[in-house]
Amino acid sequence: MTGAVTQREGVHERITGIGEADILVGIPSYNNARTIGHVVKAVQAGFAKYFPDKRTVLVNSDGGSTDGTMDVVQATTIDDFSSILLSHRVASFSKIATPYHGIPGKGSAFRTVFEIARALGVKACAVVDSDLRSITPEWIELLIKPVVNDGYDYVSPLYHRHKYDGTITNSIVYPLTRSLYGKIVRQPIGGDFGFSGKLAQFYLTKDVWETDVARYGIDIWMTTTAIANGFSVCQSFLGAKIHDAKDPGADLSAMLFQVVAATFGLMEEYVSMWKKVSETKKVPVFGFHYEVGLEPVSVNIQRMIDKFTLGTRELVPIWENILSGDTLGFLRKLSQASQKKFRMPDEIWADIVYSFALAAHSKIINQEHLLKSLTPLYIGRTASFVIEAWESNAPEVEEKIEHLCRVYEQLKPSFANRWT
Amino acid sequence: MNFLQRIIIEPFESCYEKMLTFLPYFLTSLALFIAGIILGVVLRVIFLRIFRAVNLDRATERLGLFEMFSKSGIKEPPSSFIARIIEWLTIFTFAVVALQTLKIPTVEHLLERFFLYLPNVFTAAVILLFGYVLGNFFGRAALIACVNAGLKKAGTLGRLVKITVFILSATMALEQLGIGRETVIIAFAIVFGGIVLALAIAFGFGGRKMAKDYLEKNIESKKEETRDEIDHL
Repeated sequence: MTGAVTQREGVHERITGIGEADILVGIPSYNNARTIGHVVKAVQAGFAKYFPDKRTVLVNSDGGSTDGTMDVVQATTIDDFSSILLSHRVASFSKIATPYHGIPGKGSAFRTVFEIARALGVKACAVVDSDLRSITPEWIELLIKPVVNDGYDYVSPLYHRHKYDGTITNSIVYPLTRSLYGKIVRQPIGGDFGFSGKLAQFYLTKDVWETDVARYGIDIWMTTTAIANGFSVCQSFLGAKIHDAKDPGADLSAMLFQVVAATFGLMEEYVSMWKKVSETKKVPVFGFHYEVGLEPVSVNIQRMIDKFTLGTRELVPIWENILSGDTLGFLRKLSQASQKKFRMPDEIWADIVYSFALAAHSKIINQEHLLKSLTPLYIGRTASFVIEAWESNAPEVEEKIEHLCRVYEQLKPSFANRWT
Repeated sequence: MNFLQRIIIEPFESCYEKMLTFLPYFLTSLALFIAGIILGVVLRVIFLRIFRAVNLDRATERLGLFEMFSKSGIKEPPSSFIARIIEWLTIFTFAVVALQTLKIPTVEHLLERFFLYLPNVFTAAVILLFGYVLGNFFGRAALIACVNAGLKKAGTLGRLVKITVFILSATMALEQLGIGRETVIIAFAIVFGGIVLALAIAFGFGGRKMAKDYLEKNIESKKEETRDEIDHL
């Protein structure tokens, strides 16, 4: 299967026509005609502004959009570079828009990007989401230059986000990745990454494209694979991450399952590596930090608590096989607490996540059932976090997340001992 | 003398001859039965070791069979229980072969009928077992999905799915055994269709207000959901 996309009619001709390239930016999409034009323009402007002497390629890997997303990509171009204060000549810029094959999902879209990058022999790549409203040409510079100029293999994004956004990142993926692999990468599933051509080729050697990595699991897989295999990692501050309103029908439990399954799967793969890690280290950060105004986010705390309470009422027989008696006792009490007193401490939450990781490792029950039964607990934790952070500003929220990370780190030795 | 010969000696001689003919069969049969017992014990020990080596107990725990065993009052682990079943199946098979070796026409006829029916029993048992496992699996999947969707009757719906799958498998098992073939299918269809119809009528007529409230509440909660703007990733 590897390399199949580059042999496809149309794509093969485009690749042959382009020959070789220096930089490639991939945009995965699915019905993003409304927003992708802005992203394409930002990428093209970024190429022209910061890499005028490089041969650049934009790849749109589409999941079978029916709203003309690929047509928008092909039709969008910056005609008047003077509007972005650019007067120099640009070496070359090409576009490839192609549907990807395989399991529908972001991971499969990225696979196509990696394959085209390999075929063109690019030195540096980046991937950016197609629904971004806050992307600027500078994002391309910040994601690519650490690879081209400083020799980094992986550039993880650093954003300013609303205090209630990125809760799967803040409560599970970031603390877990940090405590297990020892690198402080703040947005391991940020979605917009830069990486070297060498790392893209390394990704293609892995046989993961029929798993959850092919869907939402791709982000954590890319980050963890880079860290665990000793590739040099850095972060770039990109400013605010604002994207198109999410699909209201998006299933939270499916999303949580895919991300957590991929994270736990990586724990199995790199067990010998993370067991040896005993301290966390910062990674270099590029970009100029500045404060940004963020759009307000509305939340319905009572509905979250209701979902948690329902889960506690119905799923305890499943959780009995996973969680300790003390934790279960606490959850039972919490389900009777009023909204005012609803708090899930960091110690309890970290213990829950580690216990689920151990249960997934022991294969106590079907993995999908196991991880989907985590959803009410995650919602409860999110409700608790929202209540706690109600009056907090951004630095105070960051301090709360830092505390959670330290709890994860404190509990790690006991978790590692129980992992046999 | 002739009378004595006919009434006592001849039958006795005939019986003696029959016994002489039957005795080798009986001894062979007895030997087979004893061999079956020994082989059964040996197989039990071997299979127990194999099951423990492949960690069968943990696998059955994952499939929910361990729970089924416990609920049925079987206290020993599945590995030991299945090994014991293998032992008794071996002994039973040898016992049947031993009975056939006796060459008694009535026994032979009964055994023939029994053997023709045996595959049905086995198939029915497998169907029931699968039904139980699948019922547990789908019941749990439905329960978790309903909880995550925030349905207050999640527990009831989960149990309903579990029971429906099991009833379906029980119907199939009974059909396999040839017990009231048509009756069972018709009864199942009537009961199942009746439940659905009763619910529809109850919900449509008796619970019009409830249905209205439910739908309004549901639509209202959908509106609320779109207002929840947390980006989880």
